[in-house]
Amino acid sequence: LRDDRIEKVVIVGGGTAGWMAAAALAKTMGSMPGLIIELVESEEIGTVGVGEATIPQINFFNTMIGMDERDFVRSTNATYKLGIEFRDRYVHPFGFYGLDMLGIDFHHFWLKGKALGDTTPLDAYSVGAVAGLGGRFDHPRPDQPKSPLARIGYAFQFDAALYAKYLRRMAESWGVRRTEGRVVEIVQNGETGFIESVVLQDGSNVTGDLFLDCSGFRALLIEQKLGAGFEDWSKWLPCDRAFAVASESNPDDQQPLTRSTARPAGWQWRIPLQHRTGNGYVYSSAHVSDDEAAATLLANLDGKPLGDPRPLRFLAGHRKKAWMKNVVTLGLASGFLEPLESTSIHLVQTGIARLLTWFPSRRFDQVTIDRYNRLTEREYVDIRDFLVLHYNATERDDTEFWNYCRTMDVPDGLAEKIEIFRRTGRVVREHEELFTETSWLSVMVGQGIEAQAYHPAADLLSDEETLSRLQHIRDVVAQTAALMPMQRDYLQRQGSASDVTLRRAS
Amino acid sequence: MNENNIREVVIVGGGTAGWMAAAALSRYLNNGYTSVTLIESEQIGTIGVGEATIPPLINFNDLLGINENDFVKATQATFKLGIEFVNWGRVGQRYFHAFGDLGTDLQGIPFHQLYLRERTRRTVPDITAWSMSAAASAQGKFARPGPKAQFPLDQLRYAFHLDATLYARFLRAFSEANGARRIEGKIVDVELRGEDGFVQSVKLDNGQTISGELFIDCSGFRGLLIEQALHTGYEEWTKWLPCDRAIAAPCSSTGNPDPFTRATAHQSGWQWRIPLQHRMGNGHVYCSSFISDDEAERVLVSNLEGELLDNPRRLSFTTGRRKLAWNRNVVSLGLSSGFVEPLESTSIHLVQAGIARLVAMFPDRRFNPLERNEFNRQMQQQSEWVRDFVILHYKAMQRDDSEFWKQCAAMDIPDTLAEKIEQFRNRGRVFAEGVELFPRQSWVSVMLGQNIDPEEYEQVVDGLDEDKVSLALEQFRRKYIEVADRLPTQAQFIASCCAAEGAKPAPEFAL
Repeated sequence: LRDDRIEKVVIVGGGTAGWMAAAALAKTMGSMPGLIIELVESEEIGTVGVGEATIPQINFFNTMIGMDERDFVRSTNATYKLGIEFRDRYVHPFGFYGLDMLGIDFHHFWLKGKALGDTTPLDAYSVGAVAGLGGRFDHPRPDQPKSPLARIGYAFQFDAALYAKYLRRMAESWGVRRTEGRVVEIVQNGETGFIESVVLQDGSNVTGDLFLDCSGFRALLIEQKLGAGFEDWSKWLPCDRAFAVASESNPDDQQPLTRSTARPAGWQWRIPLQHRTGNGYVYSSAHVSDDEAAATLLANLDGKPLGDPRPLRFLAGHRKKAWMKNVVTLGLASGFLEPLESTSIHLVQTGIARLLTWFPSRRFDQVTIDRYNRLTEREYVDIRDFLVLHYNATERDDTEFWNYCRTMDVPDGLAEKIEIFRRTGRVVREHEELFTETSWLSVMVGQGIEAQAYHPAADLLSDEETLSRLQHIRDVVAQTAALMPMQRDYLQRQGSASDVTLRRAS
Repeated sequence: MNENNIREVVIVGGGTAGWMAAAALSRYLNNGYTSVTLIESEQIGTIGVGEATIPPLINFNDLLGINENDFVKATQATFKLGIEFVNWGRVGQRYFHAFGDLGTDLQGIPFHQLYLRERTRRTVPDITAWSMSAAASAQGKFARPGPKAQFPLDQLRYAFHLDATLYARFLRAFSEANGARRIEGKIVDVELRGEDGFVQSVKLDNGQTISGELFIDCSGFRGLLIEQALHTGYEEWTKWLPCDRAIAAPCSSTGNPDPFTRATAHQSGWQWRIPLQHRMGNGHVYCSSFISDDEAERVLVSNLEGELLDNPRRLSFTTGRRKLAWNRNVVSLGLSSGFVEPLESTSIHLVQAGIARLVAMFPDRRFNPLERNEFNRQMQQQSEWVRDFVILHYKAMQRDDSEFWKQCAAMDIPDTLAEKIEQFRNRGRVFAEGVELFPRQSWVSVMLGQNIDPEEYEQVVDGLDEDKVSLALEQFRRKYIEVADRLPTQAQFIASCCAAEGAKPAPEFAL
């Protein structure tokens, strides 16, 4: 046993980030002799958690901690998700489009078909998009590699508060200690500046070797104490406020999709859960008043609101250092990117994965910390660029807000990506970035960026052959989707009642 | 609402019994104020193997509003028309215990009496030649008779073979949709109330405490609450039912699944064979004083028809019943309330019978002893009926090729059973009262099948013209075969409406 090993991890804050970290650490490192994991949270402090949408990577997290999917879906009132619908325009589906042929990506054949006059939209080639719009869901069928279902991707939409509760139960059963209390003071080592302990309201002192700052926007440790600094990206992502409100679920609309609708000064989310629908309007306060934003949100619900809209304020960007000394941030404490592509929980998850990979000793080698911070920043930058794409690639010129977005200077990497696609039809995926070629393609095409060319090898197929293959592929996709069960039935069969009246108040 | 009504029901254990109870109670107690909570631990396995059932399970499904096809699909189930007994009575002998009627009574005279006279006149086939279920079974056929089915198809009775693990999962989904709550955890402590020793709460390994007013002990053989906490006591039946171990193993199966369970007697026990849609469940029930575990496993493995699909699992048990199925505020269901080997597929039925009675005698927080006593009386009767019927198979053995069977044939049996056998031996009389679990036909099938031959038939039979009866019997017999000829095979029937899911292929790209 190394004598410089971490013996005590203290997690400050018990929202989604805190409990995800607690569960993951306990599951993977909990049996380390002498390791104590303690989470400090206060019931007085609410969590931001609203209806939360995720991306398929969450399945890795759930598998890692050994979650039973059905149980999790039922316990968190979750629904399945096959992608994001950008209302009235396109679906950004998980999974893949069509079928790659002759060693090149499918979309080159689609572009060629378009040049030949076949105007079928890209959506028709994604089983996730077709099934999602039809309200259908099914799990992937890896046993049938030639089926469109083979590589369908899925994620979940769930109640974040219930998710935290669910994780808490698992984490506690694996020995995580939970301490109730509000942090009133943070004790630093006079020499090193390392955090030694946090003092709670009742005077108790929680000491630790490693602190995870999951305290949300307040960033208690990393910012208020260590002053890590914040990289402000609001010039690219000008939205800085949101109103969130839940509404009664619409029984006739149970699409396994998160919905995003552009509004005059931002966009509106719609996240259907089993028992209600989460809604929110993310907007730029420079372009619309709070009152008007709240009114816009309320005017655009498809069910009766359950309560008053809750205001949220934020700033797009990230902590300049996600890890400083013996403090690692996760969740909102480490940065904020609006939920347009449902990346919040993913950022927590990759933070945890990175922390496990680079889990320190009490020596806290600076090389480890530098590496961790570089990787974290890169991840934020990748996602930022993908989000900026949605704003910049717009034809809207009806409001100040959209005029600003359309004409702003975009980050260099993004400008190049757009340009490459426009000229050559090639989709670039940098290093191991989160969003795949499918995602970039989907949003670039969906936002109206026209590719002027396709891969020359697509001409290996004759025009007739290309058109008939395209027809075949979309037929098989349509047929597959038609045979998938409705998500409502699917959930019910799994013991989840999407019919709210069947759910007894617990 | 009565203020004494039960508000918190806690079910301990989530095997077949636990989830059957959760399913029924979550449905019947869906009143807005009673919570149904089931505690189970993934660390503790369930006994669940391929499980055979008897026809009353259909009622359970109906009461819960479970669609039969959905249930069959979800549990990889097949339909069962009866049990084939091989090497019981004597080595080389076979008989069929079919569900449903045997022939038709004429002028109030039980059919088997007509049959007994007929066989004094000529050589006749086994009595199951006059069973619709047996006739279909012999051809591997099955169809579900509709409510308007005509004679003799209306006599067909069926039950199911199912995968018990999938059944629990299916019922779990049903229960949870009805509001039952499942808690993951292992129980490490049980707290009793000081004044009356009622169970007050259970403590889980994660420190959580779950309190309740009514506890259902479905913890299996251990009887976590009913025995370990309440020390209720167990009445052993091993002197009559000496088998005390079993080894279970699934094997592959192909082709049309037989619509019957098979029970084959070996030298120191017997082997079950339960065809499911996706595989075959097998097990060897044996008496450990006559055969070693390793030898028993060899016997099982060498008598499998397909490829072994999983490691054989060993189980031990003590035949008998909990002295009080319901003690204080704990009702035991399933293995915690007793065990009789699955020779007549009664395990799930006893759970169901317990649930039905619990619902009928549902207590309030005052726990009136009237309810408890009646419940215990009825459950004792149920389990003794099962016990006697199973002992019959052991007692009526003429095999002299093994010490084990010789001892069984020579053993003393309960008076209730001895009397039944005597009545039958004398003039073929069977007095299975209306409420008894196994009807007259079942007793007749097994007693004749195991060579308990009545010395005479009833005198009243002689009031019927011998030739006319003879002709009628022959017409009936042919009718059963004709109808069976026209039925689909079990495989065809399942494919038409209730094939298990996951098997259906998705469309594929043909490029």
